[in-house]
Amino acid sequence: MNTTDNLRKTIKTLISEKKVDLFLGWEKGSLPLSATPLFVTTGEQAERAIFDVTCGNNLSIYFTKDKKQYANKKVGIAVKGCDARSVVLNILEKQIKREDVVIVGVPCNGVLDKKKVLAATEGREVLELVDNGDTVTVKGKGFELSLNRQEILSSSCLACIYPDAQEYDFFMGEARGEVPNEERVKEIIDFQNLPDSDRWEQTRAEYQKCIRCYACRNVCPSCYCNVCFVDQNDPKWIGSTCEYTDSVIFHVIRNLHVAGRCVECGACERACPMDINLLMMNRKVAMEVKDRFGDVAGLDINGKPAMSDFKEDEKQKFIMG
Amino acid sequence: MNMVSLDKKKFGSFILELSAEHAVYAPGKAGGKTEFIPVESEDEIDLKTLVTDLSPKGVFFPHSEVLYEYDKEGIRVPQKEAGKPIAVWGMRGCDARSLLMLNKVFGSAIQMPDNKNFQDPYWKEKYDNSVIFGTGCNEPLSTCFCNWFEAGPHSSAGMDVFVVDAGNSFLLEPVTDKGRAVLDKLSCFTDSTEEDKTTAAELASEALDGMAEPMEVNGLGEMLNNKYDEPVWDQISAKCINCGACTFSCPTCHCYDIQDEGKGSSGKRIRIWDSCMFPIFTMEASGHNPRALSSQRVRQRVMHKYSYFPEKYGEFLCTGCGRCVTVCPVNLDIREVLKTINEYKKQGITNG
Amino acid sequence: MSEWQPRILAILCNWCSYAGADLAGVSRMQYPPSIRVVRVPCSGRVDPLFILKSLQSGFDGVLVSGCHPGDCHYISGNYVARRKFAVLKPLLEFIGVEPGRVQFSWISAGEGDRFAKVVTRITEDVRELGPATRLVKKL
Repeated sequence: MNTTDNLRKTIKTLISEKKVDLFLGWEKGSLPLSATPLFVTTGEQAERAIFDVTCGNNLSIYFTKDKKQYANKKVGIAVKGCDARSVVLNILEKQIKREDVVIVGVPCNGVLDKKKVLAATEGREVLELVDNGDTVTVKGKGFELSLNRQEILSSSCLACIYPDAQEYDFFMGEARGEVPNEERVKEIIDFQNLPDSDRWEQTRAEYQKCIRCYACRNVCPSCYCNVCFVDQNDPKWIGSTCEYTDSVIFHVIRNLHVAGRCVECGACERACPMDINLLMMNRKVAMEVKDRFGDVAGLDINGKPAMSDFKEDEKQKFIMG
Repeated sequence: MNMVSLDKKKFGSFILELSAEHAVYAPGKAGGKTEFIPVESEDEIDLKTLVTDLSPKGVFFPHSEVLYEYDKEGIRVPQKEAGKPIAVWGMRGCDARSLLMLNKVFGSAIQMPDNKNFQDPYWKEKYDNSVIFGTGCNEPLSTCFCNWFEAGPHSSAGMDVFVVDAGNSFLLEPVTDKGRAVLDKLSCFTDSTEEDKTTAAELASEALDGMAEPMEVNGLGEMLNNKYDEPVWDQISAKCINCGACTFSCPTCHCYDIQDEGKGSSGKRIRIWDSCMFPIFTMEASGHNPRALSSQRVRQRVMHKYSYFPEKYGEFLCTGCGRCVTVCPVNLDIREVLKTINEYKKQGITNG
Repeated sequence: MSEWQPRILAILCNWCSYAGADLAGVSRMQYPPSIRVVRVPCSGRVDPLFILKSLQSGFDGVLVSGCHPGDCHYISGNYVARRKFAVLKPLLEFIGVEPGRVQFSWISAGEGDRFAKVVTRITEDVRELGPATRLVKKL
């Protein structure tokens, strides 16, 4: 039985046995390249649930949207490896209770990045997409291409180490296990080896593209402050124009706010309408957090988010002697 | 002057000639994305892209625009360098129509309490002197829905010169006197033939035929008003994450915020795009937010476009360009939204 | 013409580093007149946003100083701060802000001499880098 059928069956059972009031999943979207979030409350709706290469949304954002909208509800959620870590973080940060969530893991082989698909079709519009596993077939007016899955995966997926949910109640298929992924740091190291002036120029060029739509912040499951610091206006910390220092500061601070909490699901990068390489900074921070504090966000449901914890004898070479 | 033909090989010299007296904007790549950028030569122009990632509204109504600067001496409106009028090449029918809508907001006279008429000078300065070369779309995308709104892929409303891409040549047809005057001054054209006219007409009808069946939009505003209090809005907005991607990419969204940025005794007042999707958009000084919930904000956006604006200005504030459909991170498709609301309670459907 | 003097913001904790600065003053120790001091209750109060905002407003460098580990008036404020800075510093360097511009130190109330040394050192580091240009907002 494939993942989608398995998922539908599980959702139906959960709903009919009243284990959950609501189930968060994905369904086919109005565009071939993106699935859309599905809110299941009836067995009938469960028939629409899918899981394939287009299911990029990290659904755990809905736990914290419009504060406590699901309080006192039992909610089921379909999760990829990264999404599961977000759910764990939400639990650790007391946004939801473990006993109120039913976590359904799906075996994930990565999700697509629209811009990579469009690059492969040389900008031609895709009208149909079929996920065949190792390859993905895209069809449009007068063309049909079979693309290698690796070619179109989101950069977060290419750097993924934990494709399976580490915390779950049900798992829809076979787990892939940890993927040793040495390549993930290569881009970071390469960038780090540049002289600082080059690094600054690249940062500046990248973040100059930002139009401050805050799509990155709003799709981020770890960004759920009541009032975001960029929205505070007494004092007004940073300007709202496209001026690049403001944009750089916005993204640096956002990164620090999600330091040790970012699960690198890549939702921000896929949501960005300006194609900013957002994950680079996140990955650098995650590397530092792992090296210094030995912590990986959302892996351990009995742990503590790195930045709200400390040890007395930590490395402090960066402090002036 | 009637329709003229421009050989694509001469396109480069046409742009050069046009830039002599105009600041030319055309679709081009900026940081990997397509938007309307100032161009000086043919090489910078992207003729392939149908719907640019960012709409051309930014040419006339930039993301951030300094209204004035101030210091101890007083206030100064920043002087534009000896302004060449703007010429935009390659604007599609949807975007050209969006300018007409924006012009109703910024360009039409609003009576102020002191009985003076007010028009937005920053908009007028740019828009009134501009000349728009619009291109018909021969192969509309699946996200396009301009045919919903008394327009189509070959609509020339809002353009000064209408251009048809006929393969090896462009066919240019003046729409307004301004367009005619600009064409008269340029030289790289040849007269069009009867055949060209037939080609243009054929391309237009083919393009329209290639589009999906439109939704009936007559009475849309009234329908929305009637369903204002229905719970269907919660259902629709459930997946919306309230980012501003749709509003910022929309060619017709024009809400803005005014902020001061200063240091010491000098500073500037800036007009910046704002979005009704943000909670802070309606946050009041008391701390009360009349649109605190996502569903209220989504409803506002839909109501403004398809009910309030038509009530006030007589047309929908949507051109069917489909940018919000493409850009939405959670695939909240405005077409589906309208259809869902329309169907709601019509046939007893209560959840979808 | 007088030599260019860097302007450095020193964010000092109330209980140790600020008192250390005070001691340096009453002991008439010499250090460069490059710093402007902001007193905060604890190094744990220092939001990375303060540091970035200072650079954006035109400071050439930022020094953050708190109590030595174990000495925090609030028991653990500086441990939490240390984690924040441990991530902030490499991230700032990563995006291309020069390493010398933003520095951290621990100075106790009794270490007036250390305070003078730290200020001298960061001033020299920043002087070598020259006036800040990256991240500075031009108005």
